[in-house]
Amino acid sequence: MGFEFSVITESLPALLAGAKLTWIITILGIIGGMVCGILAGLGRIAGTEALGEEPHGIFKPISVAIRYISGCYVETIRGTPIIVQAMFLYFAFPMLVKAVTDIERFRIEALTAAVITIIFNAGAYIAEIVRGSVISVNKGLLEAGMSLGISRFQLIVHVIGPIAFRRMIPPLGNQFIISLKDTSLFIVIGVGELTRQGQEIMASNFRALEIWLTVAIMYLIMTTVLAMSLRKIERKMKIF
Amino acid sequence: MSSIIELKNICKSFGDTEVLHNIDLSIREGEVVVVIGPSGSGKSTLIRCINCLEMISSGELTVDGIRIPEERGRTRQIRLEVGMVFQQFNLFPHMTALENVAFGPCKARKMNKSKASDIARDLLKKVGLAEFENKLPGQLSGGQQQRVAIARALAVSPKVLLFDEPTSALDPEMIGEVLDVMKSIAKDSGMTMVVVTHEMGFAAQVGDRLIFMDDGRIVEEGKPGEVMKNPESERLKDFLGHVKHH
Repeated sequence: MGFEFSVITESLPALLAGAKLTWIITILGIIGGMVCGILAGLGRIAGTEALGEEPHGIFKPISVAIRYISGCYVETIRGTPIIVQAMFLYFAFPMLVKAVTDIERFRIEALTAAVITIIFNAGAYIAEIVRGSVISVNKGLLEAGMSLGISRFQLIVHVIGPIAFRRMIPPLGNQFIISLKDTSLFIVIGVGELTRQGQEIMASNFRALEIWLTVAIMYLIMTTVLAMSLRKIERKMKIF
Repeated sequence: MSSIIELKNICKSFGDTEVLHNIDLSIREGEVVVVIGPSGSGKSTLIRCINCLEMISSGELTVDGIRIPEERGRTRQIRLEVGMVFQQFNLFPHMTALENVAFGPCKARKMNKSKASDIARDLLKKVGLAEFENKLPGQLSGGQQQRVAIARALAVSPKVLLFDEPTSALDPEMIGEVLDVMKSIAKDSGMTMVVVTHEMGFAAQVGDRLIFMDDGRIVEEGKPGEVMKNPESERLKDFLGHVKHH
């Protein structure tokens, strides 16, 4: 059994369909993960000097609560394997819903579970990236802005945000690529993404070399596209 | 003239360390007050308390009629009237000189962009940097950056300007250009200024009052020329000796 190029051309449509699904899960996952990560990342430093002055009155306990909730989220996600998270959401969560409510036929689609898992998983890691970048911005800039009478919200949007964002790009590139590759784990909940498609074709024709080589190259192309888009954004931003 | 800044029995602690002890100080409108003292004496903390970058631990602060701590929610109002120039310039690194100066009027005074830019251009001209408006801070020298920072602080038209060792991070040959700008502000606009500095020449020339701080207390104050010529306390004599002979 030598290397058969025809095996690749024959399985290409199915693999491309899998790659498309992988891409969709990844893109939705990292967009949602960014929203989640920015909220949780800022949440973890809410009411600290990194975001301006310390709050007083009622805002003090509120900011403590926000920090605590964000911290619990990040630690829980980081502390459990993504494959367990996906299985929990797909298999265990519907049972939990059934146990505490009267809803009998609650079900989460495998694809939905996959996207949600990536959103929450990537979100936790992105939260730490956001937190680290924001903390790294010179506190003097915030002080300078505040001493002009500018609101903290405006300063976060126009000063801290752009400077922190540029510093986030390299670690974000890491996380996006990791998330893309993590989609291959959704083979366990039966999502027809690229790895699953490869596995199914391989099971019927036993051409491991051709199939896994093609699958690997497809992943490589997708991660390269992600990495290059981020590099492009990085170059477009002013150097400072 | 009425006082625009009033400190009554102000204390400030960081954790267990008290860095300001029972400070009483009243600053009139248009007055130029120069604060000197050894490092760690609380000079910077004192002026940072005035615009609420540090919240006082006890005592009462009144700035332009706003009372702290009672009206703690109005610190932004205070900061609109009290600008600050920092030792490390703290210019926004991703904005050009013009954008740095126009940012304040635009966001804090809700001015439209073109009007804010006009004001910024005027101020950059005033500090002698008209031709640098499109440069990023990283492309400017320290002295130029500090002059942009002064223009930025002036742009929101505050009633008071605080200077926190504005020349301490500069190369010697750039100190003059920054002091010149500060002198012209004091003379031309009659701005109330509180300046923490080690520049004794500036203090003598421009200052209406000299305050010597040590260990979180105001040890001596008076007309700059007289205080420098006839220091009463040993500590000030000692300090002046060090400043002159280094």
